[in-house]
Amino acid sequence: MTEPIVRYNQVSKYFGDLQVLNKIDFDIMPGEKVALIGPSGSGKTTFARLLMTLESLSSGTIQVDGQYLWHEEKDGKLVKASSKHLREVRQNIGMVFQHFHLFPHMTVLENVMEAQVTVKKTPEKEAEKISKDMLDKVGLLEKADVYPAQLSGGQKQRVAIARALVMKPKVMIFDEPTSALDPELVGEVLEIIKEIADEGEMAMLLITHEMDFALEVADRIAFFDGGKIVEQGSPEQMINNPETPRLNEFLSRFNATNSL
Amino acid sequence: MFDFQYAIEIFPTILSALRITISATIVGFILAFVLGLVLAMLSRTKVKTIATITNGVIKFIRNTPLLVQLYFIFYVFPSFGLTLSPFVAGVLGLGIHYSTYLSEVFRSGIDAVPVGQWEVGKALNFTQKQTWTRIILPQAVPPIVPVIGNYFITMFKETPLLSAITLVEILQQAKILGANSFSYVEPITIVGILFFVLSYPASLLIKQLENKLNKKYQV
Amino acid sequence: MSTLEILGSLLKEGLLVTVSLTFFSAILALVLGFGSGLARMSKSKIIWFIAGTYVELFRGTSLLVQLFFIYFVLPMFGLRMSAMVAAVLAIGLNFGAYTSEVVRSAVQAIDVGQREASVALNMTRQQMMRRIIIPQAFIRMIPNLGNQLIELFKSTSLVSLITLTDLTYQANVLNGSTLETTKIYTLLLLIYFVLAWPLTKGMNVLERKLTEGRF
Repeated sequence: MTEPIVRYNQVSKYFGDLQVLNKIDFDIMPGEKVALIGPSGSGKTTFARLLMTLESLSSGTIQVDGQYLWHEEKDGKLVKASSKHLREVRQNIGMVFQHFHLFPHMTVLENVMEAQVTVKKTPEKEAEKISKDMLDKVGLLEKADVYPAQLSGGQKQRVAIARALVMKPKVMIFDEPTSALDPELVGEVLEIIKEIADEGEMAMLLITHEMDFALEVADRIAFFDGGKIVEQGSPEQMINNPETPRLNEFLSRFNATNSL
Repeated sequence: MFDFQYAIEIFPTILSALRITISATIVGFILAFVLGLVLAMLSRTKVKTIATITNGVIKFIRNTPLLVQLYFIFYVFPSFGLTLSPFVAGVLGLGIHYSTYLSEVFRSGIDAVPVGQWEVGKALNFTQKQTWTRIILPQAVPPIVPVIGNYFITMFKETPLLSAITLVEILQQAKILGANSFSYVEPITIVGILFFVLSYPASLLIKQLENKLNKKYQV
Repeated sequence: MSTLEILGSLLKEGLLVTVSLTFFSAILALVLGFGSGLARMSKSKIIWFIAGTYVELFRGTSLLVQLFFIYFVLPMFGLRMSAMVAAVLAIGLNFGAYTSEVVRSAVQAIDVGQREASVALNMTRQQMMRRIIIPQAFIRMIPNLGNQLIELFKSTSLVSLITLTDLTYQANVLNGSTLETTKIYTLLLLIYFVLAWPLTKGMNVLERKLTEGRF
């Protein structure tokens, strides 16, 4: 049996007194596509941000590819990870943000090249070639020398996806990648994500409100509510036979809004 | 009354001291720039004690006069074995004093960079240093260039204070000339004109730059 | 001399001069700043030009040079005045020019809608300025005026260079007659800080009080 690429073990997270995640256990297999759904404030975004080390862990452990993310093993004991260790494990994770966060002071091509050159130390020529290929793939090669301010939201997000992809992470987090987009621009971004998903080898953690898309892309859906994963399973099972009343309620609300 | 003959006669002498004024401004500014950046970063560190001490130092320096700080550096440091020339003491005082102002400017520039930029630095696995040099500072600095430029002009106009610790910059030169001839009218008028002729056009240039940047960053 | 004796001697001679100098030149700066700040928005070209020249001239040169000019040069043209008057005049004129910019930018930052509403209510231009624009602009000015006041207070130390007997001057005198250089200048720094710090805090409190529940 293959080992999971990501393993959450009894993970809890507090913001002050407020508990956002409550002792979560969760595995992601290599290449697996997992969609996280649930009402806002249910903890799904925090759950993903812990993996990207954007929030710190309150208790529990997270392992990535067999290595502890937030901890290091020293003399058989788990101690808080050094920043060196964090950076090493973090190589495996990538993230696409809701609000893109492109570097406004760099051109599109420079945005995609930057981390390859400074972080991965890829030679500039090679990085340029990889970046251009990737921009071609997301359909934005002709925008290579343009600054982000001149792009539409959908184009920005496609650049952000290219920027994350060239780092070749084993797990990619998509944090509501289409929520900040105008409705008519959502399609182009979802299409790219679907294309990447079909290639297969990279695991994906997809936080989304696009239920149809989650159905189409995900191998598994996890439903968050009140800081816990209340229910999880294959898309068909989750949509057609929700076991818990909370999921049922959540889905019906969705259908109601969609049919408006 | 104003004696033009005499004014023309002493003009080269005052102008020669302008070199000191300008080099004090430039060296002082470089010091203020670097130190200001360091202070801004220290005041933002997560280590509480360092941040608190840094903020305390900034407050103290900002709430005491530059002239007294200059006296302190020039007269008190020697009793701790650190004797400085008027130029070095002056540049040090000027640089340290204005570094606290620039640190405030840098801080506002850094705070204006969206939090998402720090997050993306992490997501792309940048080191702390790479995040600062490649992502944050290149975005934080350009919008504050006009403010920094204005501080450069302010520092230029503050250099006459260095005459108080015997540095012979243009004001001191003018005073020496005045004392010799018993006429302060011409030398001090010349100094006033020199300051205006140099700093007013510079401030207009900065205003232009500001308008350009406003267009670039707000549209 | 003991530390306490030095402190006593500094305060006894210099404090009153520093404080009263700050007080009078701040009032002059405020009056000049408001006058010229509003004048720079005047429709009369002459008023606009005079105010503009004043502001640029005093912002474009050094305070110390202005101080020397007023104290050493003006007497040559028959304008003789005491060191105190020269100091108040120089500092007031200098900071008035900076205050002018604070006033102008605050007034210009008031939403156009406020002017339009005033016009719609058929107010005269003067009524609009006095009743609508300036009260709002003033609140916006407080933080900047506070900073100006601190800068003005610190700049009073310059008057020691025209032999006005303020705190800094007393320190220099004391330094000449005793060998307590370290004590004297350390105390001097501390005195300025202790005076400036409550000023900074006070302005913060004032700002909070005035803006409470309004923005």
